[in-house]
Amino acid sequence: MMHIAQIQAADDTPARAPTRRALAKQQTRTKVLAAARRLFSEQGYEGATIRDIATAAGMSTGAVFANFTDKSDLFREIMLTDMIALGEAMKEAADQGSSAEDGLLRLFVAGYRFYQTQLPLARAAFSVGWSPEDGPELRNSAPVQTLIDLITGQLERGARSGELKADDKVALRTQMLFDAYLANYDQAIFQGWTLEALAERSREQIAILLAGVRGS
Amino acid sequence: MTAPEDLSIGDIRPSGALTSQGAIPNTRRSQKEATRNRVIDAARELFDSQGYQGTTIREIARKAGVSVGSVFTTFASKGEILSQVMEDRLDGLYAELDQLVPNLRGSTADRLRSIFAIHFSFEARRTRLFLAHIAAAYDWTLPPSARPMGTNPKLIGCIRDCVIKGVAEGDVDPRLDPQEAVDLLIAAYVWIYRMAALNGADAAAMTDVMDRQIGLIATGLQPR
Repeated sequence: MMHIAQIQAADDTPARAPTRRALAKQQTRTKVLAAARRLFSEQGYEGATIRDIATAAGMSTGAVFANFTDKSDLFREIMLTDMIALGEAMKEAADQGSSAEDGLLRLFVAGYRFYQTQLPLARAAFSVGWSPEDGPELRNSAPVQTLIDLITGQLERGARSGELKADDKVALRTQMLFDAYLANYDQAIFQGWTLEALAERSREQIAILLAGVRGS
Repeated sequence: MTAPEDLSIGDIRPSGALTSQGAIPNTRRSQKEATRNRVIDAARELFDSQGYQGTTIREIARKAGVSVGSVFTTFASKGEILSQVMEDRLDGLYAELDQLVPNLRGSTADRLRSIFAIHFSFEARRTRLFLAHIAAAYDWTLPPSARPMGTNPKLIGCIRDCVIKGVAEGDVDPRLDPQEAVDLLIAAYVWIYRMAALNGADAAAMTDVMDRQIGLIATGLQPR
């Protein structure tokens, strides 16, 4: 979205040639990203090569490398784009919750719904997320931090409304909720759990993790 | 079948092996065993220093001093090598746990803390190897025989038993599905390794964070 905004702004200026180049570059990036998304979904992170991605996008490997430094750069771009959209979906869902506990559940389920149709990509993301080099970068990225902040936001909401007692473990509880949310993807990816089953599991996990601060 | 480098371990070949028909399979077996051990040793070092994705079969073979082909005669894939590396390491840990667990006393939280503390003191020096093990679970090429992190039946059984004992002793809600508790504990346990790999936490620091996580979970398990 940032790229598009830049192009639109540039359109108003008289210098047309760079704009066309920028537009062409943007189209190339879009094509590469679409091909990469498909191949990562079909072959996993390990299985998809830059060469395959270039072929699928109908261009040379050189053209791919002109836009992305390597495979992990390409994958990171796809993930971060998704994480931003995911954050928006989660925020919208959580805001509709009738309570902090309900908000957390809706937030979890919004995530599972988001990835329901692209579980292979989620699987590739976990593979990258646990690698020693790319994992910390992905987990510490701004869009992922936004997801974590949404969880903290629900805990704070509960504390404000009196639903939850004052909590001296907000950071720990947030992180454990986030890890429970992530761990459930294993059930979705490897055991084919439905959204309903994931929601039911999440509800019970959230209840356990909130038990220490739930008001009487 | 016989890779040139296999000749380097010719000293373990019994004399007369080539003329005695019965001895040849034995020799092959011991050669295969030697190759396997060298591959496991090399792979353990590489996975620990470079991660799962960062390590190739070719590198493992080179470090082990064997051909890529002879790696594949023993292991179907990189994921299977890693599973074997972990299984070899964990044999010792679980032998220790089997002796200790029946003697654990105290609340469910205390018993869980002891079980995980044993894991951390055993594995703290190899946290990156654990990350590699987790990452491997999501590898497309992983064969069904491989055993990804957190799915170890010994670990799961041990935690499950501990939670069920808590029901009998009255500090775990009998209406709870023990699997809920197991999944939350495993998620917490697995997260500790990421933290440790990031900031170099030692066994004591890992145990400290896990103790707090167990405390939080245990509160949620109490009869309501």
